[in-house]
Amino acid sequence: MISPEGSKSLPDRESRFDESLFSLQAMPKLPRGMLKETRKAVALAKKFNDEVVRPHALEIDRQTHADPEYLPWDLVKKANEWGFYTMFIPKLFGGQGFNMPASAYVVEELSSACVGIANVVFVHYLGVAGILASWNVSLANKIFREVVRGQKTGKPCIISLALTEPGAGTDVEENELIDRARLNCHAEKVKGGYIVNGSKIFISMGHVSEWCCLIAYSDLKKASENTVTFAVRTGTKGFTFGKHEDKMGQRACPASELIFEDCFIPDEYVLRDSRIREGFGTRPIADLIEQYIHFVVSVTRPAVGAFGTGVARGAYETALKFAGETEVDGKLLINHEWAQAMLAEMYKNVVIGRLSYTEANYANGLPGGIYNILQRKPVYYYQKYAPKFIFNYLISPLLDFEITQRIFRRLFVDSQSMEVQQRCSGWASLAKIVGTDMGVKNSQMAVELMGQAGLRHERGAEKFLRDSKLLQIYEGTNQLNRINLFNNLIGSSIPQARSFDE
Amino acid sequence: MLTTIKSELKPFEDLAHNFAVRELTANRKVNDSYPFGPFFDPVVARAYEAGLLGITVPEECSGAGQGIGALCVILDRISAVDASLSGIIFTNVLAQEIMLAAGGKDTLKDIMGQATDARSTLIAYPAFCNPGETQTRLDAVRTGGTYSLSGTIEYVVLGGMAGHALVPARIKGQDGYTFFLIDQGGKGLTKSEPIFSLGLHACPGVDLTLAGVEGRPVGKEGDGARCFDHASDRMHAAVAAIQCGIMKGAFQEALSYSQERFQGGREIINWSALRMLLGDMAVQAGIADMVVSGAAMAVDQQDPQWGLSARAAALHLSELACKLTTDGIQILGGNGYMKDYGQEKRFRDAKQVQALLGLFPLRKLGLVSAMAKGQ
Repeated sequence: MISPEGSKSLPDRESRFDESLFSLQAMPKLPRGMLKETRKAVALAKKFNDEVVRPHALEIDRQTHADPEYLPWDLVKKANEWGFYTMFIPKLFGGQGFNMPASAYVVEELSSACVGIANVVFVHYLGVAGILASWNVSLANKIFREVVRGQKTGKPCIISLALTEPGAGTDVEENELIDRARLNCHAEKVKGGYIVNGSKIFISMGHVSEWCCLIAYSDLKKASENTVTFAVRTGTKGFTFGKHEDKMGQRACPASELIFEDCFIPDEYVLRDSRIREGFGTRPIADLIEQYIHFVVSVTRPAVGAFGTGVARGAYETALKFAGETEVDGKLLINHEWAQAMLAEMYKNVVIGRLSYTEANYANGLPGGIYNILQRKPVYYYQKYAPKFIFNYLISPLLDFEITQRIFRRLFVDSQSMEVQQRCSGWASLAKIVGTDMGVKNSQMAVELMGQAGLRHERGAEKFLRDSKLLQIYEGTNQLNRINLFNNLIGSSIPQARSFDE
Repeated sequence: MLTTIKSELKPFEDLAHNFAVRELTANRKVNDSYPFGPFFDPVVARAYEAGLLGITVPEECSGAGQGIGALCVILDRISAVDASLSGIIFTNVLAQEIMLAAGGKDTLKDIMGQATDARSTLIAYPAFCNPGETQTRLDAVRTGGTYSLSGTIEYVVLGGMAGHALVPARIKGQDGYTFFLIDQGGKGLTKSEPIFSLGLHACPGVDLTLAGVEGRPVGKEGDGARCFDHASDRMHAAVAAIQCGIMKGAFQEALSYSQERFQGGREIINWSALRMLLGDMAVQAGIADMVVSGAAMAVDQQDPQWGLSARAAALHLSELACKLTTDGIQILGGNGYMKDYGQEKRFRDAKQVQALLGLFPLRKLGLVSAMAKGQ
């Protein structure tokens, strides 16, 4: 029970000014160059939309229905040529080093044309986030530089993240639930590495990825303290692909089943074993695993919010175009007041989605957030203007030293307070819920406004609707995200509050 | 619920339920693959043999002579499994109702009497529009004793597949529009590739282009809007029934799944937030059943303002069905989004069905206009 005194103070505790206006806190400290750079990134995405995505999106979607085993090799090749797979990899690792919050606007832009293809481009960064948040900078450097080489050679090297299992979806995203989950992906320590057995499902871009950031468990009954994260190369003995899921939408982006049968993964490809805690400060192991999950989702959930916002925008733009050129009841649809009200509502939904993911990314940019260090002016400008050879030949070799790893862990893991972790994760959930709900809502409204034209594949609106629904499910269902929001932004300041404890 | 109140409808409910279980459940995914897979002709043929294609047609026209109530219980039961067949039945009945409203009983009698199979008994119709609202009507020119139809008409459900099509056309020099019956095997008719649509994949449609196609007028010249409105009012109850069936199907699948799927060491039904979602669905599905019963009885009994009741039922249940089927996917998580389960299809079908009989927002505005006029 919350005491009368506690109840009284609740309004004071929640929605505190500083906790909900990160932009005001962050903006004065941000390098001005970020704006110009963001515009450059979005302009490239617009061009990619015009030249690659829009001319092919519907045709590819149709093709996937005719051939459910379709894999988007051509799109991957194109995205690779255009540099999208290295765009947000820091220069430290050989990438182009665009500021990371800019990725959300690029995601929105691409999703406004086709969220399936936007995933073909950006699911890769889910894998990047999974690797980066392990803070094994030596292995990250090796893999990310392979991605960069892949761009130069024209042989795409992209990364997927494998977390969901056949019997456990929500459970594997919450450390509080995971010990009660029906897990199957087991990693057994053997001499020189691990033997992995089990399977993962719904792994976006699995079939076409070169690397998989795999999360497995050394004790299936006590996974909350026994999580092992690997980098596994496609083609590794014992690692095969199973079913290619037949999804309702986002069909350009395959969802794969990954099967591991006595798959030996050498120690050098272990990103992190939670039982080995050297260099990870004093937090309990379970808290460190939770922090790892929160690091990843703090980045990826605002991105999914941006996917949703992009869909909301695409649906709005499609409806607007239709309303401007279609007569209903003797006059243009756009001149019916009810249609204007619908279009205004859709416009509002886009803006709300964008504001939410933007604010969540500002949260990530404040001290302790995953973006903060790279956004500090000296670091930002050094990264931006220092010659590449300094990163490639002077700094890169240092990443293999244990001391460097410890510095990174100190900077990112130890220095992040629980409050910051909760703030970033809670806002990431908020952005994800808002953006994805707006995506579905606007897609539904576009179909309604367009009537029978909205039902036809070639008009685009129905595809937005099919595509949008997945956004409310992946990266944690919106139901799970609501509980995560409660946990991190509401319950965290109420001692009596418990989640997953019914 | 309708069969509890009107027990004489129970045999129709049983017939439809047994048919759906026997003919539709196992191949739902395959049937839904049209136009990339085969059309489910054998199922439609068996629906014809079972009498499901002429339920509301008067007995003197070789139909079952039943009211909207019987149609509703059939559509409800079939839609719980696969709404595509309901779309076919709906389109056919809508065309028949327009013909009856236009006084075309004899023409309908001819069609039904001469039909030798399912396709020849079906009548194609542009079921997703109100012809009064759109710009895509055909032009009809009288030459001698016949009419010649030209132009393009979009999204004719069962177009190119049924024996006949009922299409609205404007007679040159006249206001309003008139319905014409055309033979789909006639000269001058070309059809597009099947439309790849959001939902109801196995209830296909095409665009028809007519170049001097001979058309037989159905009803008085310029009387199309009245015939459509009358049939539309009746058929709104059928839209409500399809949505009701979709909702029940989605709820049942969600309820079953939630008792089998585990999260956090227990069946997901035992987590209260998810149970609340199921609670919302249960309430909506329960309400839907009552709404359909009320609407169907109002239509069959010709209650005062029966048309308004039917329209309100369809509009309300269409909104509820779109919401409920969204949650239906959500309960199943990633599995709900996959074609191996029924939920994603119901999500698409509900949105597709919402568009039957014309632009959804205009139908809502039309309801208020009708009320203001005291209809």
